[in-house]
Amino acid sequence: MTILQGRGQAAPARRFTPDEAVDFVVIGSGTAGGSVARELTRLGHNVVLLEQGKQYTRADFHHDEFATVFNNGYCNTPPSHIQTWRKTPNEKAEPRHYLVYATAVGGSSMHYAANYWRFRPGDFNEFSRKGAVRGAAMADWPITYDELEPYYTAVEWAIGVSGQGGVDPNEGRRSRQYPMPPLDLNGPGVLLEVAAKKLGWRALPAPMAIASRPYNGREACHNCGFCWYFPCEWGAKSGTNFTMVPEALASGRCELRTECKVSSIESDNRGRVTGVVYFDQDRREVRQRASAVFLCANGAETPRLLLMSRSNRFQNGLANSSGMVGKHLMFNGNTGAAAEFEHEVNGYRGAPVTRIVLDTYETHDKGHYGGGGFDFRYPFPPLLSSLNMPPDGPQWGADFKRNLRRLHTRISHCWGHTTQLPQATNAVDLDPEAKDSWGLPAIRVTFKEHDADLKFYKYMFDRGVELLKAAGAVRTWGNPPGDDPGNAVHMLGTCRMGNDPGTSVVNASHRAHDVPNLFIVDGSSFVTSGRGQPTLTIQALAFRAAEHASRMAKRGELG
Amino acid sequence: MSDSFSRRDFVATVGSIGAVWLLADAAERGEALAHAAHQVQQAQPTLQFFTREQAADVEAFASRIIPTDDTPGAREAGVVYFIDRSLATFLKDQAPAFTDGLTKLSRDVGRKFRGQTRLSALTPAQQDEVLKSIEKTPFFGTMRFATLAGMFSLPTYGGNLDFVGWKLMGQENAMEFRAPFSWYDQPANRRALLGGDA
Repeated sequence: MTILQGRGQAAPARRFTPDEAVDFVVIGSGTAGGSVARELTRLGHNVVLLEQGKQYTRADFHHDEFATVFNNGYCNTPPSHIQTWRKTPNEKAEPRHYLVYATAVGGSSMHYAANYWRFRPGDFNEFSRKGAVRGAAMADWPITYDELEPYYTAVEWAIGVSGQGGVDPNEGRRSRQYPMPPLDLNGPGVLLEVAAKKLGWRALPAPMAIASRPYNGREACHNCGFCWYFPCEWGAKSGTNFTMVPEALASGRCELRTECKVSSIESDNRGRVTGVVYFDQDRREVRQRASAVFLCANGAETPRLLLMSRSNRFQNGLANSSGMVGKHLMFNGNTGAAAEFEHEVNGYRGAPVTRIVLDTYETHDKGHYGGGGFDFRYPFPPLLSSLNMPPDGPQWGADFKRNLRRLHTRISHCWGHTTQLPQATNAVDLDPEAKDSWGLPAIRVTFKEHDADLKFYKYMFDRGVELLKAAGAVRTWGNPPGDDPGNAVHMLGTCRMGNDPGTSVVNASHRAHDVPNLFIVDGSSFVTSGRGQPTLTIQALAFRAAEHASRMAKRGELG
Repeated sequence: MSDSFSRRDFVATVGSIGAVWLLADAAERGEALAHAAHQVQQAQPTLQFFTREQAADVEAFASRIIPTDDTPGAREAGVVYFIDRSLATFLKDQAPAFTDGLTKLSRDVGRKFRGQTRLSALTPAQQDEVLKSIEKTPFFGTMRFATLAGMFSLPTYGGNLDFVGWKLMGQENAMEFRAPFSWYDQPANRRALLGGDA
């Protein structure tokens, strides 16, 4: 295999046989799995990395909005990925393409907008600080910001994050500056600076997992603008497809197997996992033996696979003695308001986000539980933009055409990113009837917004409109989110971490409470949702989990 | 607006506007998209699916969604070829429904203008009258979405000839941009807006 990106030189392909118990099988090559594979190989372990999607190279990527956005390029789509959805547990779930995630090497990091906010210290103990909320299963994290800080720094330097530490007076302790300065300020970024100044708030340079300078042999961002929801044509986005996975492969200790769909994790009568069963590219069933397994398949696929891995010993599903597998599904809330400005904003040029405002990070004094932050952006490529002209204006004809001509370059959105409360009834489980094209049970999503969240989205939406007006908007439009968002990304919370085996799935080291040689790390590990940009925290958790697992493996504690 | 553009929502927007366009099998569609693009590169535009009369009606329809004035519209962008090629390749399974829609359109034309069956034979004002009368129908939604998709998708799909759609919107087709990107981030304008904070 040729290594296409990253600092490593191409190493000879490493191959393992299915009967050979490899040190670790890692399921999923996204933000978490790709990072775990890189860290485990760096620490000397052999890894088989399984990815359900394909591996793409820069040459595969393009400005093709119709394929990428409108035909869900790179993402989970029927019939290979079937989902059903319902609002409450007593309804029958109906087929619906609801959760959206990339199925490719790099997972969703291959096409993310790359907002790389750290959590603040208070994100880890919100329950202690604020107390209970009716209908929500709030809890503190079993780790603190200070415990995670070295891993935040390690990730920022390993993959290449651009930003400026030390300008946000409320950020947590930082042991090292970002490796690269912020990306070039663009039109929406300046408008947010203007707005923040007027409201007495602070516009901060956005921390982004995009290289602002050449980094580890990768190109710097060329500001082409086909960024949000697009894989990077320059290789400047720091997703694991361009960083962690190539480095894992270059170590000579990792075999990547693509288009492999894991159907179960097998365990023995001692309650240890022994390996995984998957369908390979030709849909042949393969049984890969392993000394230990890392499950990093995302907040929807991870609980699904545990629930599919039932055995005599684990009749509720693997690692599910608590009954918490799949529960507490969270996405983060998103609010959006739009505005027209007098001059050209050209949001399609540059990084999707260049400035953020975090003055609403805590809103307890305003009567809300959580908090959030804002950015200004208009990353909509032409077709999506044309479908989102002001809804009260003409939608066809000469006046519509005039709007297209004038507004595409003059719109900025204000996006709010918020907390979302964990609720036990919001869940991922197995649909009793629907199956995907492998014959595996479909993901069934049960999701209803919490009233306190809906109230908070309204608050954030209104602040967003204020920001747009403060920036000098000619006019604004939009509505606060209702209780049925069309689609969801950021699947969080479904195998939460905790110290109590009765109320959580993994411990503070991401080891399953029930299974000593099974580790689970991805968005599912989250106890609370954070403020809308979870990816850096997922990756820092993955670095930390890999280090802990490696230490245990070297001490012989995984047998 | 909430259901029209946030990260969580944008696919839904697309779905509600152009649902019929999103039902095809995704795996097959990937190959077919490439196939369609390849064919366009191969040949001068020729019709693969529509009859000439159907094509004239589709073109007339699209031209009322994005008319031609002092700048090119859907007609000059070749939107009809985008739709034709889609229905001949990656949206083959939706072709019968589309044909039904065109047949109904002929009836709608006849109801408004006795003795007429073809939208393309009417004046632009008459065409607008027909379109207004069916503005709320799913077929109108499909035609609007198809027109915009043909206008703004890459020219390799058969429409957006010479990027006229992108030019209309002011979207420059480039692999690279350098700051300043806009009026607002030009240093002098930013300084004027922010004063000492710039």
